[in-house]
Amino acid sequence: MDATRKLTLNDIESEITGRLLSAGKGYYLAVLLSALMVVAAVAAGLHAMVVGHDHTYNLTREIPWGILIATYVFFVVTSTGLCLVSSIGHVFGIESMMPIAKRSVFLSIATILAGFFVIAFEIKMPWRMAVYNIISPNITSNIWWMGTLYGLYLVLMMFEFLFLNLNKHRLAVGCGFSGAIAGIAAHSNLGAVFGLLMGREFWHGPYMSIYFIASAMMTGTAVIFLFHYLAYKINDEPMESRMVESLNVTRKLGIMLICVIMFFTVWKMTAGIAGQPGGKYEAVMALVKGPYAVNFWLFEVGFGLVFPLVLFYLSKGKNMFMMFAGSAMMIIGIFIMRYDLVLLGQVVPVFHEYGVNEYKHLLSYFPSFHEIIITLGGFGVASFLFLIGEKLFGGHKVEPGHHH
Amino acid sequence: MKRRDFLKKSILVIAGASVPLSALQMVDPKKVLAENLDIHWAFLIDTFKCVGCGFCVKACKTENNIPFEANVTRTWVERYVYTKDDRRYIDSPKGALYGYTDPRIDMGMGEYKEIDPDNVGKAFFVPKLCNHCITPPCTQVCPVGATYKADNGVVLVDRSWCIGCGYCIMACPYGARFFHPTLHVADKCTFCYHRITKGMDTACVNACPFGARKMCNIRDIDDPITKIIMNQRVGVLKDEFGTKPQAFYIGLAQEVR
Repeated sequence: MDATRKLTLNDIESEITGRLLSAGKGYYLAVLLSALMVVAAVAAGLHAMVVGHDHTYNLTREIPWGILIATYVFFVVTSTGLCLVSSIGHVFGIESMMPIAKRSVFLSIATILAGFFVIAFEIKMPWRMAVYNIISPNITSNIWWMGTLYGLYLVLMMFEFLFLNLNKHRLAVGCGFSGAIAGIAAHSNLGAVFGLLMGREFWHGPYMSIYFIASAMMTGTAVIFLFHYLAYKINDEPMESRMVESLNVTRKLGIMLICVIMFFTVWKMTAGIAGQPGGKYEAVMALVKGPYAVNFWLFEVGFGLVFPLVLFYLSKGKNMFMMFAGSAMMIIGIFIMRYDLVLLGQVVPVFHEYGVNEYKHLLSYFPSFHEIIITLGGFGVASFLFLIGEKLFGGHKVEPGHHH
Repeated sequence: MKRRDFLKKSILVIAGASVPLSALQMVDPKKVLAENLDIHWAFLIDTFKCVGCGFCVKACKTENNIPFEANVTRTWVERYVYTKDDRRYIDSPKGALYGYTDPRIDMGMGEYKEIDPDNVGKAFFVPKLCNHCITPPCTQVCPVGATYKADNGVVLVDRSWCIGCGYCIMACPYGARFFHPTLHVADKCTFCYHRITKGMDTACVNACPFGARKMCNIRDIDDPITKIIMNQRVGVLKDEFGTKPQAFYIGLAQEVR
């Protein structure tokens, strides 16, 4: 469409309708499926609120945080990663990373909204949070900082996306830069939500805040690849050479970040085993050869780190399917990483459970039907927004030579 | 604006914004007031006197409207049994709501463990409740200040303010907090605030037939319970976290956590 001509509302409407109607059957099926997942999750969440969370979620005094917290963490990790990795190009001016900017910024908004969607059903009184977070802040609370900064982050990312689409690059860079800072601050505070709990040995310390940032960036590379690959399939277009090159750079960054997270994991595990530190040792051993061993070795180490590393390396940036498989595996692995991270901090009892005799045993948790439906709903929100966004914004095209 | 200028200005703004936040912390009117108060509630538990009857748990649940059969309670009693062959068994079925009338150990999931009375090395009961810490980890983490420490030392939850995030439950190293099964907000022992502020004892202190539970104003050095806390060998739970608990124990065993 000619940008100089004045657009009427009718023009915009017909343009958008045209785009939305241009897709294949598979696309509409995917949209419908995502929407159904969201609807089911809303129904489950509202049911839980009415009946009571303790009747519908498998949470106890001993394990108050379950899969919904893990899913929230997963989505905000993903969002922060998308924001940080995409900012390398359009905020910090690395030319080869620029083509991925628009879609990544849009996805960072979609994934954080998915996170907020899930957390809204986890918190028992979410409407109060919205009000009291503003009128009654407690600045010693990491949840307050995390929530507030993520709120700010969301606004900044929305403005950044707006300015990117209006081709107002200076403003977009300003919002992108502030958004990246807000994202890092918010995300390290999320790490601190766990890290500053003195009674929880598996989490306690500065590690979580630092690890979360590195882990977010690693997730960002996988998600950027996955969604760009899918987007070009949906839009049924060949990938431009600039985009291929951009994704190749993302792949290299991904390889480096996998190595960084491997390094983090090795020391986290070693520090948990050496000298058998109380609280940590039991949790780490549960991962190494206990009930979480499959999660750890197959999903965290295999799917999350080793397989994608090998596939990313072997693809040489040319074999798109290999990279797609690698990033898809990594995302599954990372989800399990978040699940284990949230659960392992709680399964080693810090106080005696009512009715159970042995102190040194692990508590058990498995998500309830409601919790699983809401978790799937989070993925529904992210994929629904992704699918609609692709058509609405015409494949998030970035013209070459825009940036200053 | 050039990127360099933008960066410079951003740093200035962030530095400027951080100053008033620290100033806010310095003049906390609550702290100033608390220093001049002459009431600070504390609790004393004599584990030698506890027989595990569970009357305190029943009284607490009735007084404070905590659903009877729900597996949560503001106060509970743990049983510790150590055998001569150095095995240890700890249980607290329903928080000892119905007392320890069964000599068998409740292993959970409907399993019970018989212990030969001749093989028992030592056995004792430990009542537990919120420690009303001087530096409570729970109030630090509440995002909206719904839980707070009153000037007289009691840690309270405002039920109309709590958003139900569960962070305080996670932060408490003693397991003293839980979600109220019907109100869906964080709940905990209040030292029966509605009673002690009217000059009465807490429900559990009132219900204990053997005087294993006592309350006192720790600022009143003539209070006989304060004297015990000051002059005798009393212990607190998990002081390694720096929480400075205000529930003191006589005869606390090292194994009790």
